[in-house]
Amino acid sequence: MADATPFSPVILKHIHEPGSHTIEHYQARGGYETARNLVGTAEPASLVKIVEDSGLRGRGGAGFPTGKKWSFLAKGTGKPAYLAVNGDESEPGTFKDRYILEKDPHQLLEGVILTCWAIQSNHAFIYLRGEFILGYERLEAAVREAKAKGFIGKNIFGKNFDLKVVVMRGAGAYICGEETGMLSSIEGGRGYPKIKPPFPAVSGVFKCPTIVNNVETIAAVSHILKHGAAWHKQWGTEKSPGFKIFCLSGAVKNPGVYEVPLGITMREMIEVYGGGLIEGRTLKAVIPGGLSAPLLTPEMVDKCTLDYESLASLGSMLGSGGITVLHDGVDLMSAVYNTMRFYHHESCGQCTPCREGTGWLEKLAHKFHGGHAHSGDVDLVGEVAKNMRGRTICVLADAAAMPMQSYLQHFRGEFEKRTHEPAHVERLRTPRDEITPTAKRESVQHGAPNVVDVGMGMDRV
Amino acid sequence: MTKQVNMKIDGKDVSVPADWTVIKACHENSVEVPHYCYHPDLSIAGNCRICMVGVKGMPRPVVACAQPVAEGMEVSTTGKDVEEARKGVMEFLLINHPLDCPECDQSGECKLQDYSYEYGRDHGRFHEEKVRKSKATMGPHVKYWGSRCIVCTRCVRFTDEVSGEGELNVIYRGDRSEIALFPGKNLDNPLSMNTVDICPVGALVSSDFLFQSRVWHLHSNPSVCADCAVGCNSRVDMDAKNLIKRIVPRRNDAVNKSWMCDHGRLSFGYTHENRLQKPKVHGKDASWKEARAAALELLSAPHSVALVSAWNTNEAMSAMKEFLNTEFPSIRIFGYANKTEADQTFPGFTISGDKNPNRAGLKQVLGVDPEASIQALAAENAAIGTLFLVHNIPGFELTRELKAIMDRAQNVVLLDFASGELLRYGNVAVALPTLTSFEKSGTFVNRQGIAQSFEPVMEPVTYGMPETEIVAGLGTALRATRPATGVLA
Repeated sequence: MADATPFSPVILKHIHEPGSHTIEHYQARGGYETARNLVGTAEPASLVKIVEDSGLRGRGGAGFPTGKKWSFLAKGTGKPAYLAVNGDESEPGTFKDRYILEKDPHQLLEGVILTCWAIQSNHAFIYLRGEFILGYERLEAAVREAKAKGFIGKNIFGKNFDLKVVVMRGAGAYICGEETGMLSSIEGGRGYPKIKPPFPAVSGVFKCPTIVNNVETIAAVSHILKHGAAWHKQWGTEKSPGFKIFCLSGAVKNPGVYEVPLGITMREMIEVYGGGLIEGRTLKAVIPGGLSAPLLTPEMVDKCTLDYESLASLGSMLGSGGITVLHDGVDLMSAVYNTMRFYHHESCGQCTPCREGTGWLEKLAHKFHGGHAHSGDVDLVGEVAKNMRGRTICVLADAAAMPMQSYLQHFRGEFEKRTHEPAHVERLRTPRDEITPTAKRESVQHGAPNVVDVGMGMDRV
Repeated sequence: MTKQVNMKIDGKDVSVPADWTVIKACHENSVEVPHYCYHPDLSIAGNCRICMVGVKGMPRPVVACAQPVAEGMEVSTTGKDVEEARKGVMEFLLINHPLDCPECDQSGECKLQDYSYEYGRDHGRFHEEKVRKSKATMGPHVKYWGSRCIVCTRCVRFTDEVSGEGELNVIYRGDRSEIALFPGKNLDNPLSMNTVDICPVGALVSSDFLFQSRVWHLHSNPSVCADCAVGCNSRVDMDAKNLIKRIVPRRNDAVNKSWMCDHGRLSFGYTHENRLQKPKVHGKDASWKEARAAALELLSAPHSVALVSAWNTNEAMSAMKEFLNTEFPSIRIFGYANKTEADQTFPGFTISGDKNPNRAGLKQVLGVDPEASIQALAAENAAIGTLFLVHNIPGFELTRELKAIMDRAQNVVLLDFASGELLRYGNVAVALPTLTSFEKSGTFVNRQGIAQSFEPVMEPVTYGMPETEIVAGLGTALRATRPATGVLA
């Protein structure tokens, strides 16, 4: 597989060309021809089969096989089926969908058209992160252009198939990138994730069968259906075939988005694509798949290849493909605090362990960052994180707890360095007779300086 | 009937309908599963995460409220995993909770207290500053203490699914989440106080009960609300002085589910205020003996009629009918009712517009329709000797119809618990104090035709008697005036 034709970018091939976001540019390079050939003529089940055979796995983070997901779509329910494309790219360190949306939106739309035909859905939602203003404008323009050409709307490509595409913008909440949270948001409610089961493929948006796919997945679909499953499988590993866009950031010379075949080594990504670490720095750790992925130490980085299985075996995950490189000068407590602040801010507040746990972790991380954590807080951090994992509706609690646990596992020493014995513990160790009566009286008169205001009770109605 | 599945709960074999959830299967089989957000009459939210149970074959505990039962499922509600999960959730719930139990109205009936005792840790490990949230007045009867809130969203779901106005929602995110009103809205629907009942903690409290009593000083008795024809099953809480402090619903799926209207809860004031304390003869306090004699004398007047309201119990009506038919066969019995208005219908509840608890009973026992009956009496327009008026309607607005009938009567013998307008109006010669439905036993037949019996919840606060006893007393007094008959004579 690795000895196949040398890889050159597929999805990101044209992003540097001027005007790549226009329909003229896209059609000039053969765009919409696959859709024209397949929609209305190809057997939908055969398209699902191609995607299933290609081994394409969801590019949003979870890596669930796309074709399999499509085949789970409930049929014969009497309800319409929906496609919801997840463009709420907000995992810190991830910025791949943004390029597709801003530079090549028609590629996505063709994928949407093909996917809708394959799953026989007449209505697609494309949900964008609220901050993607340019992406939103370009995608809206692309939808208008495609509509004018008859690629979207009634009887697309002159075939007996209608397709409505609705572009929606979120309001800037991380949780709306969780698939069911996004569906709640599309429905007009708070972006609360929903309990699974039922999975969206059975009961999704407006309680109708819904397929939720990431922008990159849908963009890849248009290429896979054009070239076939075998073409896609020539890259990557057996269980992670194909190519994927990685977002390289942090302490490398050339950060950016790189589309590479799956299965290349992490070292290659950092050294070859990233140009190595910035001058005078050595590698401390790598966050491989977006902020929520447990980090990798340099030893693990040496063993790591960029595919779903390798990262899973190292106790981390490929996630969204946001690789953040930390150099030896990074204060890990600062990174921990920043991470926890993010999850505390973004927890939707639905489930108890996440709502309360993210806040607690942030407060503990803040103490470590400021150097006033107690020695017992190191274990406490681990226990709080443990109590959060696997106990919530969605995986945001895990997303916050997993990095914390991995920081603690690999860099416990840095946590311990930032603790000190609290003053009151030292005071307690002072023999009683050393505390003078005067000092006692003063502390009574003026109130002990370290008395925390615990008057949380409401004083008046 | 739905399919049954066989499953094991803590090793016990049970068979439950296939569409149940694990928590329901546990509760119906008397296995305790702690829960905050789950409520049998609301949709499933699955957010509190305390109801975790172990299911054989699952890698980690699952929430029982969202887990459908399945054939062959083995559920364990105990075990290390489950206990750890609950302990963790309890700790999370309490870290930002103000722990202000001493001044919290919910204290004593708070799920946080109960489950903390049962499943929580013995000490706190949270030494950071707590999150402070707002306080708000949600509506005329409901206040909100944000810091105590555990965001279980029961109240939100209630306003969406049962009262239907949807006034409430969660605002902000994460541990800043709190319940708030939509702008321009007010939680003033007639079912608003149910949000207080279903709040598992002291976040939503009743402004009417607030700081009135510690709940452990109250004693409770079951009752049936007499406020309308629905007949909500209720629980009446009283303090040591026998004063009613609040009324809350009792769950009855056939009648009121878990709900009750605000009016029904708050209309207990008539029990303590403005009562007819003692029998009165011609406006003066009299003994029961004097009053009975006076009443009997008046009842024997020619052209007398009896008028019985739809607020009386089946027992009272039956006794009345039996007594009058036997002793005063010439007295005809008519019925009448309190005002009726349009039903107030909500997505999950209906408040009957018929403000009589026992219209159906009146029809069953006396065989008359109250409105038609009083109209027939009004239409007669002939002089009435004595009007035997069995009233017992609190807050009754004297109708022109009834006034006209009272005007036609030479004398009125009134049975009522209140010393109200009716007593002052017209020619009330004898007034006999009765009891409210809180002080007597009886049966009301609700609008669905369900006969619901109730016991007194408290000792009578006046010298009044239930109608059955009054009638028995009248009968005894009457027979005592006659020559003795029978074997002992």
